[in-house]
Amino acid sequence: MSANLPGLAPGFLALAVAAALAGPAPARAQGELQSLVHWVRATGDNQGTSFAVIDKKGARVHVFDAAGKEQGSAPILLGLARGDDSVPGIGERPMAQIRPEERTTPAGRFATEPGRNLQGEDIVWIDYDAAVSMHRVRATNPAERRLERLATPGVEDNRISYGCINVPAAFYDTLVKPTLGTRRGVVYVLPETRSLAAVFGSRIADSSSSAGASRRR
Amino acid sequence: MTSISLSSALKASAAALAIAGAAGFAIAQGNPPTTSSPNPATGAGQQAQGNTPMGTTGTTPAAQGSGTTSSDSAASGSTSGSGTMSSSTDTSMPRRSDTDTMRTARADRN
Repeated sequence: MSANLPGLAPGFLALAVAAALAGPAPARAQGELQSLVHWVRATGDNQGTSFAVIDKKGARVHVFDAAGKEQGSAPILLGLARGDDSVPGIGERPMAQIRPEERTTPAGRFATEPGRNLQGEDIVWIDYDAAVSMHRVRATNPAERRLERLATPGVEDNRISYGCINVPAAFYDTLVKPTLGTRRGVVYVLPETRSLAAVFGSRIADSSSSAGASRRR
Repeated sequence: MTSISLSSALKASAAALAIAGAAGFAIAQGNPPTTSSPNPATGAGQQAQGNTPMGTTGTTPAAQGSGTTSSDSAASGSTSGSGTMSSSTDTSMPRRSDTDTMRTARADRN
C-alpha cells in the first residue's frame, strides 16, 4: 500500500532520515518539549496510550510509548501559516477556498484515532472536525517540493501544508503506524505564538519552572 | 274489568322481576373478588414461571436465548458445550474496537 505513495523515493527517504538524525531543535522549543513530556509522565495525561509531541518551532515529531519512553523523532512539514488555532469551519471547506493565512496547524492536546482520507490512505486523525491529520509526506504537487523541504536541515522551509502534519514515509511506517496508526492515542502540539501555559494550562507552566530548576541544579 | 286486572298483573310481575334483579346485583357486589382460583390447575396456567414475561409460559430461559431476549438471560441459561458466546451477547455489550469505531473517511488538509 505504501509503495504507491510518492513519498517513498529511496533517495529522498535517505535524505529525510539523515535530516532526522541532524537538525537539533531550538533551545526554547527543547525546553517546552521537555516540560510537556515531564508533565505527561508525572500526571499520566496520556492515559496509558502512546503519544506524540509535535514541536512546531523545531518542525519535528517525537513519538513516545505508553510509558513515556521516546521511540524516535523525525522532521515534519506543517501548516504554511504560523498560528495556534484553526479557523472555525475550516474542516468543511475545500482546500482551494483556504487562504494562505488560514493554513495553520493548531496547538493543543488532541485525542487521536486511526482513520482514512477520501483517497483511502491510512492516516492518524489529530482533529477530525478541522480535518487535521498526520500522514506520510505527499509529493503530489512537485511545485511544493515537499520531499526537499523535509530533507533540508533548516526549519524555515518546513511550512507548506494546509494544516496537516507530513511525516517521512519510512518514519510513519516504522513508528507512527504501529503506535498511533492502529489505536487511539494522544498528540500534543506545542504552540508557536502562544505560551505553553495558555494552551495547556498553568500546571504545565509550574511543571516547566520546577523542571527548569532541577536542570539548573 | 278483565283487561284492567291483566294489566295490573303484568305490572306486578315486571316490578317483581326488577326487584329480584336489583337484589341479585346487590348480593353479587357484596362478594369481594378473590385471587385464588377454585381450580388450581387453571389458575397456575396463567401465571408466569421463573419471572418470565406474560405470554411465554412453558418456555424455559434457555429457549428464550434464541435471540428474542436480552443477552443476560441467554448467557445465564444457554451455556452449551461449544463454550462460545452468542452473538446476541456481543451486540448488547459492544466492544470499543478501534476498527469498529473508525470514523467516516473524509478529506484532510494535506
